[in-house]
Amino acid sequence: MRKEVNMKALQIRNLKKSFRSNFLLKTYQILKDIDINVEEGEIYGFLGPNGAGKTTTIKCILRLIYPDNGEIEIFGTPHSQLASRKKVGYLPEHPYFYDYLTGKELLLFTGRLFSISPKESASRADELLRLVGLENKKDLKLRKYSKGMIQRIGLAQSLINDPDLVILDEPFSGLDPIGRKELRDIILSLKGAGKTIFFSSHILQDMELIVDKVGIIQEGRITREGKLSELISHSVQSYETLFSGLDEAILKEHKIQFQLRDRNFLVVSPGKEEANSLIQLITANKGNIISVSPIKMTLEDIFLKELK
Amino acid sequence: MNLKAIALNTFKEAVRNKVFYLLIVVGILFALSSQIMSMLTIGDKVRVLKDFGLAAINFFCVLIAIFTGINLVFKEIDKKTIYNILSKPISRSNFILGKFFGLALTLLVALVSMGVIFYIFLLISTGSFDIRIAVYFLMLYFELLVITAISVLFSSFSTPILSSIFTIGLYFIGHIVWTFNEFKHVLQDKAFEKIVAYSIYYILPNLEKLNIKNIIVLNTPLDWTLLMNSVLYAVCYISAVLILAILIFNKKDFQ
Amino acid sequence: MRVKLTIFLIILFLMVSYFQHQYDSRINYYTERETFVAIPSGKTLKILSFGYSNLMADLLLIWSIQFYSSYHLSNRYDYIEHIFNVITDIAPQYQEPYIVGSWIMALEKKDYKMAIRLLNKGSRNMPDEYLFDYEAAYYSYKNLNDFEAAEKLFKRASEKPNAPKLLARSRAHMVYMQDDLDYAWSLWMDIAKNAKTIVEKDAAYNHLYQIKYEKDKKNIVKQSKRFKEKYGRYPRDLGELLRAGFIKEIPADYQGNQYTYNPVNGTIKAVKEFRWKKS
Repeated sequence: MRKEVNMKALQIRNLKKSFRSNFLLKTYQILKDIDINVEEGEIYGFLGPNGAGKTTTIKCILRLIYPDNGEIEIFGTPHSQLASRKKVGYLPEHPYFYDYLTGKELLLFTGRLFSISPKESASRADELLRLVGLENKKDLKLRKYSKGMIQRIGLAQSLINDPDLVILDEPFSGLDPIGRKELRDIILSLKGAGKTIFFSSHILQDMELIVDKVGIIQEGRITREGKLSELISHSVQSYETLFSGLDEAILKEHKIQFQLRDRNFLVVSPGKEEANSLIQLITANKGNIISVSPIKMTLEDIFLKELK
Repeated sequence: MNLKAIALNTFKEAVRNKVFYLLIVVGILFALSSQIMSMLTIGDKVRVLKDFGLAAINFFCVLIAIFTGINLVFKEIDKKTIYNILSKPISRSNFILGKFFGLALTLLVALVSMGVIFYIFLLISTGSFDIRIAVYFLMLYFELLVITAISVLFSSFSTPILSSIFTIGLYFIGHIVWTFNEFKHVLQDKAFEKIVAYSIYYILPNLEKLNIKNIIVLNTPLDWTLLMNSVLYAVCYISAVLILAILIFNKKDFQ
Repeated sequence: MRVKLTIFLIILFLMVSYFQHQYDSRINYYTERETFVAIPSGKTLKILSFGYSNLMADLLLIWSIQFYSSYHLSNRYDYIEHIFNVITDIAPQYQEPYIVGSWIMALEKKDYKMAIRLLNKGSRNMPDEYLFDYEAAYYSYKNLNDFEAAEKLFKRASEKPNAPKLLARSRAHMVYMQDDLDYAWSLWMDIAKNAKTIVEKDAAYNHLYQIKYEKDKKNIVKQSKRFKEKYGRYPRDLGELLRAGFIKEIPADYQGNQYTYNPVNGTIKAVKEFRWKKS
């Protein structure tokens, strides 16, 4: 699998998938037309409401489901080739593993599935167990693991083959705030090691903190895809100016609405032009500008706006 | 090869199952209780010992083959552990084959342990060492593999209840299908019916030919050509069933 | 709480046992139990045994041994032939059912014909076994006095592999018992010639003695009668019969001893006699 320059880590074009309800011949088109572009080394957040087709898309990438139409390439290799999955790590939604195995045995077994030598699997396993904080639970059978522990061992098994592309389906679900922070840190460190991470989530705050690119899926289609910074920069809603040293009367004269904060004025301007004219007004009247802050849309705002 | 990984893992799973041990222990107990049965008869006690003991081992190994087999693939699909396997670079056929060979290994262990204990018991009771019983166990092993292949086939697309009905049904059919030869002469002139009947006859597994209990108990000489034929039949049949299972499994979407 | 429940459990168990005991003492299991129901034919059972046919034959035999030992069941023989036919159809090469079945039929039920039928089936299915014909011949001879059938069976048995020599002798005895004295004589001469043990030699000797005696007696009686017809009285001694030309020589027994002639009824008597034929 040669890595060329300009090769995308994951590229999906025109993906379509429909399902037939068993007894009736009614078909449901789950994925209508999916295009996804994930660059190498970036963190891609896959976002969408329930039933939009996130898990279906991910299962198509991993060939657990066969697409009706479209192409999926992982580092340039078509996903229909087994070799394309050699450097892919996957953590499913609601993971469940063989409960009669211990944590370490699961990692060794997974290593063998990748045809990694037992010695190498063993050392990787120890490393990963330390990474996810399960090293003193490694000889405990999985049926005794709590949900959080299963999530963590799941993450470990997704990394056993030192993958270049890590696909995580709802990895933040069920984690407490500490767990979420730890996971965010791990994802960022994976990115630091040059890996590409593709994950789906509902928890927008987490996504916002770490993603480079966002793809929004609704009703089987990608409605928006783009770098987070671009999406948000286009969505600067307003500017908040905090200042003092101006006469109230001047603001009233220009019909500018304001609030009082301590003894300073707070004005929200709806756009760049209005903000600029306000700043000029303050400067002209020898006022004191304390701060000018753009109020960005959060990812949630962008998302909810898309839904309308 | 990762087929081996799946096979060994399947073996580990079966062997860590309490029901597996229970069936082996009960099977051995039944086999040993043949001693009591033999005391109730007049004349040839050794015959009853062998009949009862071998029947017990046969019966319990068939139970292990059917009930471990039908859960094998279904449990993976149901519990979604299969996502962890098929998302890795392992072909679907390797998965099915790995499951089958894991179960074959499990059955080998079960049969050998029951067989060795029964052999020792026979040695103590009768003082004789009949090598032909080993041949019987070998043929029984092939019969068990056919049943296993069938249960893996059904397990790959059906629920345990339906799978067990079909597999148990085919087991019984497999032991009755030889009677077709008794009345096939009725079909002499009817070409179409003949083709249909013969096709069905050939598709159904003929398990009776792998059953050499009669020969062992009556001390008639072994016909090696016939036995070779039966073994090759079993191997071809198993391969066909597994290929069918792979074909079905390859098409599956895991929603 | 646990103690209360346990006590309650024990009480219930005692009650259950009591009710069962009451029930059992009212119902007489022995007389009310029906003897056999229709069991399917051997062929059907063989198919239905799904490969366990030998075991089924064993179990049926064990069952029947127990069942036919239940002497209190007065009508237990109603289906005995059917049952043993079923067992022998399932496993035709299994010896014990033929033997055990025929024992029960002959010695307990006293139906010798039925026993012989079963034994003949065994002989058909296992043509190398002399035992079935041997037993059947014995019943024919001793219980049915059917010497002709017994002879056929002894002959067939004697021709099977490993057949004891006794069978050939028994057959020859049957020939004698059917009064075919000439043929019997030739058979016993053969036996005498090939006899190796004292038992064989004695048996041959005795038979030849008795046969000669009977043959001679028959002849003398016949000729004496002819003498009487001609002369109105029996000859006074064998010499007279000889002189009158009715016999060519005076016969002696097989040992060479003289017979004792009785002029009253024209018959002879030998020194010893083997009363095999009862009359």
